Amino acid sequence: MYLFANATIYIGLAIAIYSLLIMTLGISTKNQKFVNSGKGGLIALLVCSSLAMLSLFYLLATSQFQYEYVHDYTSSELPIIYKLTALWAGNAGSLLLWTFFLTLYTFMIALSRKLKGNPMVPYISAILLANAVFFFFILGFVAKPFILLDEIPIEGKGLNPMLQNPGMIIHPVTLYLGYVGLAIPFAFAMAALILKNVDDFWIKMTRRWTIIAWLFLSLGNIFGGQWAYVELGWGGYWAWDPVENASFMPWLTATAFLHSVMIQERKNMLKIWNISLIIVSYALTLFGTFLVRSGVLTSVHAFANSNLGLYFLIFMGVAVIGALYVLMSRYNLLKRSAGEFNSFVSKESSFLINNLLLVGAAFAVFWGTIFPLVSEAVRGTKVTVGLPFFNKVEAPILLSMMFIMAVCPLLAWQKSTVKNLRKNFMIPAILAILAMILMVVLGIQKAWAVIGYGVISLLLITHFLEFYRGVKARRKMTKESPLVALYRLMIRNRRRYGGYIVHLGIAFITMGIIGSQNYDLQTMKTVDLGKSIELKDYRINYDRLDQKKEGINDIVYADVTVFKNGKKLGTYQPEKVFYGNWEQPSSEVAIISSLKEDLYIVLSAWEDDGKATFVVKVNPMMNWLWIGSFMIVIGALFAVWNGKYGNVTPRYTGVRKEVS
Amino acid sequence: MKNKIYIGLLIILVVFQGSFLHVEAAKQIDYKSAEFKAVAQQFACTCGCGQDHYECDPNTCNLTTEFKADLVEMMNKGWDKDKIREYYINIYGEEILTSPEKSGFSLTAWVLPFVVIGAAGIAVFFIIRKWVKKKGTEEDVAEYESPEEEVEGEILSSIIDEERKKYL
Repeated sequence: MYLFANATIYIGLAIAIYSLLIMTLGISTKNQKFVNSGKGGLIALLVCSSLAMLSLFYLLATSQFQYEYVHDYTSSELPIIYKLTALWAGNAGSLLLWTFFLTLYTFMIALSRKLKGNPMVPYISAILLANAVFFFFILGFVAKPFILLDEIPIEGKGLNPMLQNPGMIIHPVTLYLGYVGLAIPFAFAMAALILKNVDDFWIKMTRRWTIIAWLFLSLGNIFGGQWAYVELGWGGYWAWDPVENASFMPWLTATAFLHSVMIQERKNMLKIWNISLIIVSYALTLFGTFLVRSGVLTSVHAFANSNLGLYFLIFMGVAVIGALYVLMSRYNLLKRSAGEFNSFVSKESSFLINNLLLVGAAFAVFWGTIFPLVSEAVRGTKVTVGLPFFNKVEAPILLSMMFIMAVCPLLAWQKSTVKNLRKNFMIPAILAILAMILMVVLGIQKAWAVIGYGVISLLLITHFLEFYRGVKARRKMTKESPLVALYRLMIRNRRRYGGYIVHLGIAFITMGIIGSQNYDLQTMKTVDLGKSIELKDYRINYDRLDQKKEGINDIVYADVTVFKNGKKLGTYQPEKVFYGNWEQPSSEVAIISSLKEDLYIVLSAWEDDGKATFVVKVNPMMNWLWIGSFMIVIGALFAVWNGKYGNVTPRYTGVRKEVS
Repeated sequence: MKNKIYIGLLIILVVFQGSFLHVEAAKQIDYKSAEFKAVAQQFACTCGCGQDHYECDPNTCNLTTEFKADLVEMMNKGWDKDKIREYYINIYGEEILTSPEKSGFSLTAWVLPFVVIGAAGIAVFFIIRKWVKKKGTEEDVAEYESPEEEVEGEILSSIIDEERKKYL
């Protein structure tokens, strides 16, 4: 098994190098045979990475502790599902997963039916193969997943209990799919540049892949937040930790790209900017990995420190320099087609401001994340840049972003006249201001909350108007019933309405964030058995404290009965789990969730006389976050879904070369 | 007589001052209250948890237990969050804070993002102006005067497209 597993890695590396060379040779000599051989190599590469994955899954499932990785991240009593998911618990395994996704994506593109006969394919494959060579090299020489220990240990170290949660099964997978996914638009961009062909075809393909990567990145972050909320006993969902920042930055720049590419599509402008955004998004995924795996910054996502980060930094450097070289060499070609704007106030302009704010937000995150390093380099003091900083700096930027998002749908392409503006904005603006006044009357006094909810009201109104106008216009022509008209309207313009659904999802998430950040209540109290804690409308009766054993873990739990306004909601059991093979205990919180708010109960500590300390929190509007997340997924899927109408891949009309 | 009364009062004060202070010191501060949050959130826990002293769990971290107790003591003395902040900066330096100071070099952390956005905003303004100017005095022919017309245009073309597909 040892030989087989390692062979998958080293043969994979050899195949990756071979395929890259033969593909490049095929491109330069215009020899289809060579290119086909390279494509064969891609299949072999996918086989290698799949077998490596299967080998590691097998070793983990059968608890073969002679392997370092299995020993470090699992133990024999671990449920089988967590034994398997331990594959992405450590450095080597998570990079193997990354490699697997990369080869899978490459395979999907190189052998895609839609791209058959397309001369971009060899270039895209070669660029992705260069990535694959890097990852196989890392797996083969830096972070090896299949290392044998000198002695066979009887038991493994076990998996960090924090990672034993359904959220952890899916969070890294989606995040890596997003990370790797951003390599695809990058490869498309480079291939298009090399072929001097940044046309409609490129836009459609790149956009589709970017939405897919974007969706996975969003999902990865959402699942991560959800996991933190239920598992860490902290009651929060986003800590602006360097690792979270690392995935948030490419998310922001990819979002910027998805908007600015529309200007390229309509006006044939901003080509250089769009390609730069793609390059930056891709580079940020590598930069994030460098930050996380190098140990230069303290993070809660503790990966073992190693020189791995350095390799990523070097690879990122090479990739960025290469990309910039290609971009510069095609500069004149891209610049030539620059167009013009008709007016200051137009959808085009609003997209530019949107880009400014999104990229600005990404820069602020970037700057905050690396500031400890900058400060240390400049004056020798390594400051911490934490939650208060990011909340303060990002809030105004992202709120302005929401405002642009609210206004944009009502602006016309080309030109909006003052008359149009007045006509379109008068009613939504008045309604939004009325909503803000209503909020103040109803007791929402905090400035941030009122402004935030006011902007979101505007957004909801403008988006509703978009749907309403579309349906009205359709009905005027077709006399369909409103629902049919809405349905047909949406499926005939998936991208636009998918985008609007995503906007609404973001609005819901923002409402949840504003609510939970501004109106949360917390208390930490030590109470005697039989006594109760009161917070807001809730009364929590502490009824019982007991202990039970589950496998090798000891669980201390409290029975608490929760009343709201005197009405019994039920009995709940917050727990503290002490692990047989892990030093740190963890909290299993009790969450009583509703659309209005979550009651979050943590059993914090207890004494021999039965006294117990609880942390009780009321987190308003948490469910809005999850509902909004769901809408984002629906919207993004709706936008990329291959429908019957429109949205079909356009025919490639670019440069023809002999090889494809 | 008067002196005796004064002395008596003084004795009473001396006897009871301890208990007055004691009552004051015993004032319980909820570790999860907003007032404690405002103070404790300023300081980073150095136990390696990556959290601040408000979030860090006293059950798993000895360091924060003592730190929290010290904070409560200072709060009971009537120190506000800025004074407590000053106190710790004098001892440990800026490293103890969860966010950089708004002075000296650290100010750049706060200001730079907005300066960059501002500068880029001005650049965007000039770029748009350039593009609009380039258009010059040519007749501005807007494809659609308003979103309604635009939506109608799109719908019409999609219906035409649909019909075309039926017959072709």
